[in-house]
Amino acid sequence: MSMSLLRALLGGAVIAALGFAQGEAPAPVAAQEPVVVKNPFQPFDRARFEVAAKQLGANEAQLQTFATQIAELGLTRAADNLLRAAVPAFDAAVKRHEASDPAAALELTKVLAAATDPLLQAHVRYHLARVFIDSDDPERAIQILNEYLKDNINRSPLDAEAAFFYAQSLAEVPRVDDAIPRFRAFLQWFPEASERFRSAAHQQVRELERQRESKLHHLADGMKKTTRDLKKQKTDKPVQLDQEKYIEELDELIEMYEEMEKKSGGPPNGNGPSSNPATQSALPDGDGSVGDLQKRPTLADRWGDMKDRDREKIEAAVQKGLPPQYQKMLEEYYKKLGKAQGK
Amino acid sequence: MLRFLQDRVNKATKEFDGKAAEQKVADAGKVESDKLSGKQARVRDLMRKLAVKMGKENDATEGGK
Repeated sequence: MSMSLLRALLGGAVIAALGFAQGEAPAPVAAQEPVVVKNPFQPFDRARFEVAAKQLGANEAQLQTFATQIAELGLTRAADNLLRAAVPAFDAAVKRHEASDPAAALELTKVLAAATDPLLQAHVRYHLARVFIDSDDPERAIQILNEYLKDNINRSPLDAEAAFFYAQSLAEVPRVDDAIPRFRAFLQWFPEASERFRSAAHQQVRELERQRESKLHHLADGMKKTTRDLKKQKTDKPVQLDQEKYIEELDELIEMYEEMEKKSGGPPNGNGPSSNPATQSALPDGDGSVGDLQKRPTLADRWGDMKDRDREKIEAAVQKGLPPQYQKMLEEYYKKLGKAQGK
Repeated sequence: MLRFLQDRVNKATKEFDGKAAEQKVADAGKVESDKLSGKQARVRDLMRKLAVKMGKENDATEGGK
């Protein structure tokens, strides 16, 4: 069923009037041809990557290590390790994340604010998004991965994971209608991505589609009850409120399908390069390609365990020297982290 | 379409509810509430059919992968 037909069945008023009054089937609605979105991702260019890494300070020995690690750890992790070796401040910030230090977001943001090279920005944004995801803050992850997808793609082998985690973050918000096409795009555009990520994406698409489908069943269930109420001549306020709720839910569904229709077709809009797939978050267990994914105390736990003066130190640092958009982002992040721990 | 149909049922329900009590309990009132219930049932059936159809399409898409 095309998206436009589905939307019409949910919302098309004039046709519906005839159908309701006379029991006629709705008139056919012309389906729009889906517009194919061009894959914005290009194959990884190792030579270009190595030139950029050298410009960031990578030396020959580090490049040799990179070459060796590709076979041992995989391209993505080897590339990230090279960047970490070349840029000590970035490495230090990532280590804070690996140690579940709440200052990780602040330190990564400082590195990001100072970075002008798109390759370094890509890696910092990826790690910062992972910090937000680990802090159960998918909105902030979406914000930072939008920047990645807008400004940093086709520089690093991290693109596939950035695409996965973006979709994952949308799913966690939950923005089901935005997440599904992005998981699909990830699967289509990154056939060589790790099987763990691909399996997780397949599973997510199935689960999200079921969620969407169940909304329709849920509505039908509610209407069944109302049908019984009306039969019993119950037409008072509670019944009317139930009925109004159905209209609201139908409006939401119509809006959702309109959005999906726009996104399966038209040019990118809304958050980020909309047709780009994006990131990943809830990794399947095992090696993420980058970073330590072992279980550890959450960032919110650590934030709660900190001494007041240490928390205040971080909060004060957020107010100093960061671009306004990042200052606001971190203010909201730490506020949310504090709420999770009642601080 | 479903939204429009539901909106029609909602308005009819409010209208019926606004009538005087004696009008509602009379035979004509019973006929009217049965009609209302029937209209709500039609919207429900359409919604259910749509949900089932969507479910089948999703399953078919998965099966084709």
